Amino acid sequence: MVRRRGLVINDRQMQLVDDILDKLRQVSGSRFIALVSTSGQPITTSSVEAHPDTLSLASLAASSFAATQQLAEVLHEREFTLLFHEGRESNLHVAQVTDQVLLVITFGRETQVGKVRLYTNRAVEVLRPVFDSNDGDDQTNLMIDDDYSLLADEAIDDLFADME
Amino acid sequence: MPLINFAAREINYKIVYYGCGLCGKTTNIQYIHKKVNPNARGKLVSIATEEERTLYFDFLPLTLGTVKGMKTRFHLYTVPGQSYYNASRRLVLQGVDGIVMVADSQITRLDENVESYLNLWDNLLDQGDDLTRLSFVIQLNKRDLTDIFSAEDLKELLNHTNSPVTEACALTGQGVFETLKTVCKQVIAKTGQAS
Repeated sequence: MVRRRGLVINDRQMQLVDDILDKLRQVSGSRFIALVSTSGQPITTSSVEAHPDTLSLASLAASSFAATQQLAEVLHEREFTLLFHEGRESNLHVAQVTDQVLLVITFGRETQVGKVRLYTNRAVEVLRPVFDSNDGDDQTNLMIDDDYSLLADEAIDDLFADME
Repeated sequence: MPLINFAAREINYKIVYYGCGLCGKTTNIQYIHKKVNPNARGKLVSIATEEERTLYFDFLPLTLGTVKGMKTRFHLYTVPGQSYYNASRRLVLQGVDGIVMVADSQITRLDENVESYLNLWDNLLDQGDDLTRLSFVIQLNKRDLTDIFSAEDLKELLNHTNSPVTEACALTGQGVFETLKTVCKQVIAKTGQAS
């Protein structure tokens, strides 16, 4: 079986990422920051208050960013590395960290676009090397084993029991 | 390639419902959203045109619960079926773990089914994947209608991978959860094999 390339986050990486996101949120004056995969799944967030719908946000932001990349291709541009939406009360900024990871930031009038962009660019430079290592693979082998598959199988039967 | 987050103790799998326009992909997701335990599902997000045709995708997160200490989720997506939305389909396929090919059983939809199936292969190969490495289930939808192909004929046309096949009527819900269960179990089993 050929191993397909997935994204595995271990404890050490998450600790580093959480520290960087918290610091970025403070210095940039932003409200909410999420690290999401390019396939639309949330990895972690930094926020004063929990966002009510991080799953939808991650899915839509990743899709929107992917569409932006395709726009770049249509325009014969090598890549668009960030996406920005301006609203009345809040703004959304999405930046690429690696080919598998995106940074999603929301901020309001209490800060400035330039400040958010500046600190985001710096954060991306620090975040990128965190995802270079692959030392999560050993942990994957330990956790995602036959035992996990068996228990997940039972959980699927329970969740969808009597649904038809 | 699921997203495995050991620090947060989470595993997220991505499942995409594929198929030609009006074959019933969105109807599958809507039925699942309506019937599944509300505590196990998130918000249904649909990016559709004014005529309620899928423009970009539908998205429904399902939480399986905690399995061996890991919170396990399935993220269900649909793609737009019309042939001219291929760029959108390619984007939704990024990072996919399992695919449900929804086939419209009606005899008049033969060409569209085959075109969609070949398009799926093309798009996966372009991103360095193929159906033999993914979890793949074929759902023969609209079995309640007259003037439909036999299941055997459709299997011969669309099942070169010897994958599981289910029969369904997504409007009434028949076969919808059988399909979902089959693909969910497959993605779990494939992840176990890969590690």
